[in-house]
Amino acid sequence: MSMHRRGLGFLCLLSALLIFIKVPSASAIPAFARKYETSCQTCHTGFPKLNPFGEAFRLNGYRMPKETEEQIKIKPVSLGAEAYKKMWPRAIYPSDLPGQVPLALNVKMASVYASSLDDSGHTIVHNDFQFPQEANLFAGGTLGEHMSFLGEVTWSENPDGSSSTEIERLHLQAGSFIGPEHLFNIKIGKFAADLDDGFHEMWLSTDNGVDNLFTFNPIGLHGGTGLSDAGAISLPVNVKGIEAYGVAKHRWFYTVGVVNGLGPSASGNVDGNASKDVYARVDYKFGGMGLDGDSTGVTLPPENWRERSFRVGVLGYHGNGSGVDFPLTDDTGATVNVQDRTFNRAGIFASWYYDDLNVFGVAMSGRDRLDTFAADGSLSNAQSFRYNSWFVQSDYVILPPLQASLRYESVTPPGAAGVKSLRALNASMAYFFYANVKTMVEYRRDLSESKNYQLSTILRFAF
Amino acid sequence: MKAVIASLIALLALPLIAGDIHGKVTAHSVRNSADAIVYVDKIAGKTFPPPAAHAKIDQKNMQFLPHVLAVVAGTTVDFLNSDAVLHNVFSPDACADHFNLGTWPQGQSKSFTFKKECFASLLCKVHSEMEGFVAVLPTPYFAVTAADGSYDIKDVPDGTYTVKVWHPKLKAATKSVTVKGATEASFEIAK
Repeated sequence: MSMHRRGLGFLCLLSALLIFIKVPSASAIPAFARKYETSCQTCHTGFPKLNPFGEAFRLNGYRMPKETEEQIKIKPVSLGAEAYKKMWPRAIYPSDLPGQVPLALNVKMASVYASSLDDSGHTIVHNDFQFPQEANLFAGGTLGEHMSFLGEVTWSENPDGSSSTEIERLHLQAGSFIGPEHLFNIKIGKFAADLDDGFHEMWLSTDNGVDNLFTFNPIGLHGGTGLSDAGAISLPVNVKGIEAYGVAKHRWFYTVGVVNGLGPSASGNVDGNASKDVYARVDYKFGGMGLDGDSTGVTLPPENWRERSFRVGVLGYHGNGSGVDFPLTDDTGATVNVQDRTFNRAGIFASWYYDDLNVFGVAMSGRDRLDTFAADGSLSNAQSFRYNSWFVQSDYVILPPLQASLRYESVTPPGAAGVKSLRALNASMAYFFYANVKTMVEYRRDLSESKNYQLSTILRFAF
Repeated sequence: MKAVIASLIALLALPLIAGDIHGKVTAHSVRNSADAIVYVDKIAGKTFPPPAAHAKIDQKNMQFLPHVLAVVAGTTVDFLNSDAVLHNVFSPDACADHFNLGTWPQGQSKSFTFKKECFASLLCKVHSEMEGFVAVLPTPYFAVTAADGSYDIKDVPDGTYTVKVWHPKLKAATKSVTVKGATEASFEIAK
């Protein structure tokens, strides 16, 4: 199949993505509610969107800021008395584990009505009851004084009735074990990189949309084919690697990570070459609660989703896809291999809270150096292409159980690729029956083609 | 005449009349206010011989009971094993001579004399989650708080003393207390 996907083909692909694409995971983990005997709303504006305290809880390794023993209602199981610290290293350092099985389940059901155009210009309508669409088994908790863990296994049902299971996340992290508290934390495993995990708002109020930051596929003879689930080389949704992050002076946030790059390789390795990808991000938050939960000198309203703050950050990702072949058919019908030799992503993030309103967005530019190899292995072309994507979203708490969200997003592929730009609008309204049961109505519209839209009704619950 | 003699005796004995120190310790950041030790620190020119009777700590249901024991320096403590499993008692603290009593079965006990002032941790090598404490104090004027933080140190002679609070997890506190009969002194301790 030619990689020149233009016009209607692209729109058709987009509509398929609208229905089946996997959006980044978002956590709602009642295991923590059980541990502290507290409501979901302690940490969530409405699950799974975190409020400022929830963000501090997450960054603090799933512990309350300045946590005290009495806050933990389910007493942990001791794996060594405190006084064993005096014995180390002549004895194993004391620790503990959660007093209850730290598991929780999220279930998502969706009724999806989607309209799209096929290659011949005919309208195709899908009307699916995806009951359930997916279930996520979470495990999250702390181990002793400094360590914590988070895991998520997702079971999802495919359109053909088959199902798939994936370990979306599973990582161990150690926090504040050296230096000032909150400054240095490290995690290892498979996780949502803090490069983008801090954009919680992005997927929390809009549950069922294409996320333009994560799904651009730059591979193509002329620099990309638009959006793609499987072939995306953009910001990573989840990574396998090691990340350091921390909070300094309550308001600075940083993260750096080293992770597996593109893969798998032909030889079966998870990482397709010997290079690793790297990323970094730095933020500063003005006003509101500190990123470590500090509220010194700040008057915060009792409604814990509200604050007046502005967080701004820059981020970057560098990847090396040398040696990882993407076979294509060129304009003459010959098979060639394209390698994304180096790819860089640079972006700026900002989030503004003004009481019940939260406006946030990311603008990102991607540059890909694509090498094209002929069947005999000779380099036939080497060119760099740039694409841009951005979104802006506004969330509003009308009443605590009723929350609205509106997002505009844009992807501009390289001009040479001949792929149309994406301009999409996403509007949703969420109603929380309970703190852990919600329903959403979400409408998504391709602004360049009125026949491409999707209306979803979603029911989610967590326990 | 008898009444006069009795009054004279009472008058002479007045300086020796003992009062008490009572009150509450409020412990922050922990589940309750139990297990704090309130004690009178060293009294200049006074020493207190240890009691002849041994103190006792039981190892029962995989716990040291009591969890915190206060004794005057020189007291011998008997460690009884009431469980059907082997137990061990040792201390990682130098002030308790890093003692290690080995292991012994149900119904038997081993003893250790705490000669120096110390806040000794007690551990069991067989069950590493077990933890207890012996506070070895310079005076016999001490009490361990109840869960609500209340305590009562009895028979303290009238006078002015340095009163301290020690807790296994929280920072110590100190206060000067003048005892005159029943005297109240309350404390707050935190991390």
